[in-house]
Amino acid sequence: MRTAVETPAAASGWWRSPPARWLKVAVLLLLLVLIPPWSGNPYITTIFISAVMFGILGAIYDLMIGFAGLTNFGYAGFIAVGAYASALATFHYDVNPWLGLILGGLAGALLGLFTGVVTLRLRGLYLGLTTWFLAEAIRLTISNATDYTRGVMGLNVVPFPDLFGVSFARGQLLSYYYLLLILGAAILIAMALLLRSRVGLAFRAMREDELATQSLGLDTVRLKLLNFTLASAFTGVVGAFYCRYLGILTPTPEEFGVPRTVEILTIAYVGGRGTLWGSLFAAFLLIGLQEYFRSLEAWRLVIYGTLLITVILFLPKGLAGLRRYLW
Amino acid sequence: MDLSLLLDPAILSELVFQGLVRGAMYALMGVGLALIFGILGIVNFAQGELFMLGTYAMFFCVSVLGLPFVVGVAAAAALLFLVGALIERGLIEPLRRRSGRNWLIDSFVLTIGLMVVLQNLALLAFGSTRRGVATLLPGSFDIGPVTITYERLMILLVATALVLALGAFVKFTPLGKAIRATAQHPEAAQTLGIDTPRIYTISFGIGAALAGAAGALLISIFPAFPTVGYQPSLKAFAVVILGGLGNVVGAIAGGILLGIVEAYAIFFLSAGWQNVLTPIVIILVLILRPQGLFTRQGERP
Amino acid sequence: MSLRVEGVTAGYSREAPILKGVTLEARTGLVTVIIGPNGAGKSTLLRTIYGYLRPSAGTITHDGTPLTGLAPARMLEHGIAYLLQGRSTFPAMTVEENLELGAWTIRKDKARVREAFERIYGRYPQLKERRRRPAGALSGGEQRLLEVARLTMTGPRTLLLDEPSVGLMPKLVDEVYAEIARLKEDRYTILIVDQNVKQAIGIADWVYVLNLGENSRQGPAEQFHERLDAIVREWL
Repeated sequence: MRTAVETPAAASGWWRSPPARWLKVAVLLLLLVLIPPWSGNPYITTIFISAVMFGILGAIYDLMIGFAGLTNFGYAGFIAVGAYASALATFHYDVNPWLGLILGGLAGALLGLFTGVVTLRLRGLYLGLTTWFLAEAIRLTISNATDYTRGVMGLNVVPFPDLFGVSFARGQLLSYYYLLLILGAAILIAMALLLRSRVGLAFRAMREDELATQSLGLDTVRLKLLNFTLASAFTGVVGAFYCRYLGILTPTPEEFGVPRTVEILTIAYVGGRGTLWGSLFAAFLLIGLQEYFRSLEAWRLVIYGTLLITVILFLPKGLAGLRRYLW
Repeated sequence: MDLSLLLDPAILSELVFQGLVRGAMYALMGVGLALIFGILGIVNFAQGELFMLGTYAMFFCVSVLGLPFVVGVAAAAALLFLVGALIERGLIEPLRRRSGRNWLIDSFVLTIGLMVVLQNLALLAFGSTRRGVATLLPGSFDIGPVTITYERLMILLVATALVLALGAFVKFTPLGKAIRATAQHPEAAQTLGIDTPRIYTISFGIGAALAGAAGALLISIFPAFPTVGYQPSLKAFAVVILGGLGNVVGAIAGGILLGIVEAYAIFFLSAGWQNVLTPIVIILVLILRPQGLFTRQGERP
Repeated sequence: MSLRVEGVTAGYSREAPILKGVTLEARTGLVTVIIGPNGAGKSTLLRTIYGYLRPSAGTITHDGTPLTGLAPARMLEHGIAYLLQGRSTFPAMTVEENLELGAWTIRKDKARVREAFERIYGRYPQLKERRRRPAGALSGGEQRLLEVARLTMTGPRTLLLDEPSVGLMPKLVDEVYAEIARLKEDRYTILIVDQNVKQAIGIADWVYVLNLGENSRQGPAEQFHERLDAIVREWL
């Protein structure tokens, strides 16, 4: 056992040096960019789209739960608001789908601000319960307001119009994939910069010890509100992308209900709370597993649940806990 | 929508009765949830899946073995007590040893994982067909303008009896007192020689048994299938929030209140919208009175 | 025959133990007081004796029986009772229910429980008067009495008192110490940790000084009466 640990430790001098780290990041990024076109296989591309999208959503979730202890248990409802805001604006008012991305973000931010204002003064868990009921109210409103949203009959969403000569017509999977990579990179970089700033430092302080942070004169309620609103805005943008990619929106629980929230929460936990990047790895792992076990429908979710329980009980740092062996 | 209908005594008493029946079942679900939160400090998101296991136990006892429904309810409660105790010992106890100030969120997420696992294991074991029992108790009778089925009356009576029995147990028996003591000051309970880990196991078992009994009792309304627990658990949370988290008496009052509100909603709103009403009422309560409608500030069970 | 702590090392992490080889003895029927500056490990010592913390080295015995490794809930059976720091009544339960729970370990022996109630109600008539009131409705001093009474229901031999006077008004502190003096007359073996050094030493037979988790000095209480100011000044 001892030698097994020491061997990589001996090699770790170079493996862990900053240039090696940059190299590893560059290789991973290159793989991310190149595998889907190389494979020439639309199936691979759809898996990459799912994994990257869930990875980003997991990272946003981690911004809330891992850095500020905020449990949004109605997260899928927030995605729904971004998706439907963008889709409905185009459907009813001919709003340009590209503008819809911003609109989705705004809708998310407003919802986040509202929810935050009314719940963040309360103890942690009330946010979880309020958001759950809120998401349920949102989803059921969407499915009942059939005149406006077409409910479970499904809302057709027109794709993005061409941009700089690139076609985003249905089936142009690679265009959607690269768009997602750009959006995701922008969101992740924004979050990483935020976390490096003084505000990010305050988030960390708050996570360690809320009372001590308050006694330093930091307004923890405002910090949480900022965190929650920003995270909701990013979620709304991803939702607005999602509706275009999907092409048809239905307010089913699998799409915008508890199961979806559980998927993203699991990714954030498995990736490791408070790591941001862990979610991306977890998403590839979990989406990969999911595809591998495609034929075993129910087992797949048993695995999700078991992983979540395992992480809570034995691996509180998630995949990030394994980092020193692999990275 | 004709509001003058509200004043019609026939409709009014019909709605109140329907509301009471609904309220009794919500209270039964909510009480288990409130008990688990009040004593262990766990918001048990898998409560609905314990309900689901209860429906399967009932289906097995009544439809497969042909046993009387009372036996089915008792068997479901006993089975779920065991399942609950096992869950506490196997998953929650280890978490308690290692989790500190993040207990509320960690335990909540643990039960989310449990929910997913139980739901899908049920799907693997039993498939997705609905297995119901059409009626447990046929027949009905009239009181004035109100028609009351025996089945609904039975649900109301058994639910009431179970809640009263639980109340008496916690109030008067030594074990019940030890449970209350553990809820109020676990460390002090320990210094008096009370084996608090055992109290936690028993309490979780009782909370699970209540969910199982509720599932068994309501099988004609909620036939057994893997995700049947979602709606009841949503209602149970609603009831517990109305009553104040961890407040068992409040959960009963909240259950009856929600039952009656919904009975009216069903009468006046179209089928789909009435489901929107419950979450909106709950959000309003969470915003305006987060300690619940029936809890004075700072009061604990 | 006594409570003996020998060479106990304990703490919340193995690397930085709070207690480093503490040795002391609380002799039968005497009042032993532990004093020391903040962070000396006084409360940690009581918590270790009572099984909340497992010592990484050393032994703890009570009348010859080893206690090391026993769970807190088993201590009362071994005749050793622990008064927690701060409020520890069950506020929403009646005084009588609180006392009943004090008799939890002997609950099967109805005659003994009845006897315990008679003894406690005889000794604390004010608790008998208020037995149907919720404990949370009692005054601060009465709640302290209830806590002590609850601990003595089973007739333990040794009492560990963790900061019995902390957070109380001066008048109540006097009442608490009067009560401890009565317990001393009843020949309980008492081990006290208290910030209220003067009053604690006032009723003590033997005093230990702990500093930074180690024994610093010890001796009969009389030796400490006049030197007290000098000792306390050293800590500041």
